[in-house]
Parts: sequence; C-alpha cells; structure tokens
Amino acid sequence: MRLFHLFISLALTSALTAQPNCEAFKYLGDEKRYKACKAAEKRAGHYQFSKEYQMALDEALEIDSTFAFAYRAKSTAYLKSGDFITWKKLIDKAVLYDPTGNLFYRASCRYQFFRDYAGTIADIELLDSLVDYDIGHSQNGDYHLHILRALSYKALGQKEKAIQIIRTQLQDSQHFPGVYDYLHLGVLFLETGAIESAIEALKKQADFNDLAENRFYLALAYKQQGNTTTYQEHLQFAREQYLAGFHMHDPYVSKMDEIFLSKILEEIQLSQKE
Amino acid sequence: MRQPFLVIVTLLILGSCTAEKKSQPYLRWVGDIPSNNAIDDPDFELCLEENWVKQYFHFDQGGLQYAGEKPAMDAYFQSNYQPVNSTESGWIRIRFIVNCKGETGRFRMIASDTNYEPFVFNQGITDQLMELTRKMDGWAILPNTEKPRDYYQYLVFKIESGQISEILP
Repeated sequence: MRLFHLFISLALTSALTAQPNCEAFKYLGDEKRYKACKAAEKRAGHYQFSKEYQMALDEALEIDSTFAFAYRAKSTAYLKSGDFITWKKLIDKAVLYDPTGNLFYRASCRYQFFRDYAGTIADIELLDSLVDYDIGHSQNGDYHLHILRALSYKALGQKEKAIQIIRTQLQDSQHFPGVYDYLHLGVLFLETGAIESAIEALKKQADFNDLAENRFYLALAYKQQGNTTTYQEHLQFAREQYLAGFHMHDPYVSKMDEIFLSKILEEIQLSQKE
Repeated sequence: MRQPFLVIVTLLILGSCTAEKKSQPYLRWVGDIPSNNAIDDPDFELCLEENWVKQYFHFDQGGLQYAGEKPAMDAYFQSNYQPVNSTESGWIRIRFIVNCKGETGRFRMIASDTNYEPFVFNQGITDQLMELTRKMDGWAILPNTEKPRDYYQYLVFKIESGQISEILP
C-alpha cells in the first residue's frame, strides 16, 4: 500500500510541479510569459526549498507578475515547512491569476496541512461553480474533491451531510473509488450509530484496499454489536496489517481516521478483558 | 554640477542596495533557522554542518516520528495545556531542530489569525505552547541507522477560542 501511495504521490507531484511547455506561450504569441517560463526553467535540478529554486521563480515573476505557475511552485516549500502565512500569500496569487487551475490545490492543502475545513469547503464549492467538468482530485491524489468536501463537513460536525456527499459521489458512474473512500464512509456510519452500514462499508474497503484502519473500525463495530470473537479477530488483523505496513500514510501529516499501533494495542488489551 | 553628481551617487548606492537585497533574500533552504546566541540554548549543538540539516519528512519512515506516535503527542498537550479564556483563533507554528541525539533547539514561532494574516496571540497561549514544546523529549533519532542526522521539525497548533483543536503534522 505504501508503495502504491508513493507511486501515486510521486506521479501527481511530478505532474503538478512539471514545467509548463514554454514553447506553447511563444506559439500563442505571449512573449512575456514565454520569457518568464524560460526563467522558471532555471530552477531545474534544484530542491524546491533551495534559494536557487526560489530565485529562479522570482526572476520569472519579475518578468511576468501574473504567472500563476511560478507562485504555486514557490509556495510548496513554505507549505511543507509549516509557514502558513507565506504559503497563503503565494497560493492566493496563483488562485487570483488562474482560479480554475489552482483552487483544487489551495483547497487540498488547506485540508491536509492546516485542517482549515471551512476554507477547504469554500474553495471546492467555488471551483465547482466555475467549471462544468469534473472538479477532480486533491493534489496528493488521495481524494476526489467532493470526498474532501465531505470530510471537511464531518470535521465541522455535519456528519449526515458528509455521508450524503460521499454516497452521492460513490454512486457516480464516473467516480473511481479513492484509496480511503469506503473507510471514511464506514467510520462516519460507525460514529452515527449505523452499525450495519458501517460494517458493509468497511468490508468494501477491505475488498478494495485492506488496511489496519478498516480492520480496527470493523472491530469496533462488532464490539458494539456484542460480537466479542469477531471484535478480537479484527483487532488482530488490524495489528498484522499495521506491522506489515498496510495502513494510512502521509509523509507530511497525519490523516483523518488514521490509526496508530499504540491505539490498536490499547484496544487489544481492552478486548482481552471482555 | 554638484547636485547631479550627488543624485548619481545616491542612485548608485540605492541600486547596489536593491541588487544586494535581491541577490540575498534567502538562506540555504526555506525555513532554515540560523542560530541566535541571544535566544537559543547555548548547550544545543548540531552534530553535523548547518548545510546538512534535513527536514523531518526526508527519511524513509516518513511522517511524524515521536515516541508513542501522534496519540502520545496529542495526549501530552491535552494533559498539560491549560485552556486560556480567549476568543482568539488561528494557527501557531513552532519550528525547531532535532539533532542526531534527539535533543531539540532553535525554537521559533509564527502565528496567524484564521485569515492567515500575522497575529499576536494572548501570551498565555503562546508561552505555554513554547514551553511545552521545548519540554518534549520523545523525538526520534533519524534515520535509525548508524549515522543519524539533524533535522527540522515543526508543530502547528490550530487554536479555536484559546483552545487547541488540532495539532499537526
């Protein structure tokens, strides 16, 4: 799972940070953007945190101060260093000059790095109002933006609304389930007392992408049903999956509904008293 | 004659200042923290060169590496942070270095309101968070091989009405 996630992340990261084709600007007669784009190319081979990388983009922005790509490329190092102030100033510029190309990114990062749920919802809903095509996925590929919107509503206490959004999205014939979709749906059902629905969703997650998390929450669902044997079995599965590396993972931040080994072991101890 | 000469000299000086500003706006990496004798613990030392300090997510393990994982960190702040009677909300980041022995130093703080604008929180909030962060002693030695490195770590506290609502990463 971790390798799969890494592959998706790398593929998306490289796609997102890919240098635009400068020749296209030239072909379109946009000489200023072409020159800015060529200046931005000087960052090639430099780490995104480095001054060389940042200065190449500064040079690009001196040529064309409306080059959204350069603002977003600059913002990433600030995001990953936790500097929300500088990050926001830069990504706001990217959104200003190319809203439909950058709202997905700002929304995803608000959710992932700063748990800014209201901001995430606002950005996704704005993007949805601006385009007539599928609004797409988060920048790390983990979630369709509607799923991210649902998780944000959940965090704000609107769990029924979150369930409804996820269900609608999963029913969309064009939607390919994300790596954690059924897990989050199952946890939402569990938290709202719909135990049978929780078990059904968590089993779907197991069929699709079997993680320590879905096993752990399945255990809790069976615990609520008073099914001690199955509760204990799934806790053991959860432990095994965790130790085998099959669990939610993000190299930068923890995730909603993520389970840690300490929590699984704590619950196993509890289960042995049952 | 004298006036145009002065104007030219002034312009040259201003020009050179601007050029210098443009050519040196960055440290090695975004987020680097140079040592400051006035505020840093004199006993805290890097194990390797300044230019070798990595980021916490550069290692194979990935993510937050703290004894007892994130639940232990959350529990630590939950037990020790005294909520402050305040309407203030926003984010507070404390960034620091973990050296190759797992010791911490060079703590720096930034803070914003919920619009990501710089903000000065009630000192009762910020002093507590800084003190509690300084006292944390479960940071992992990374990588867990023969040659551990120094690395940058940060904590972001999401504050809602003076209370910690989330801790990242």
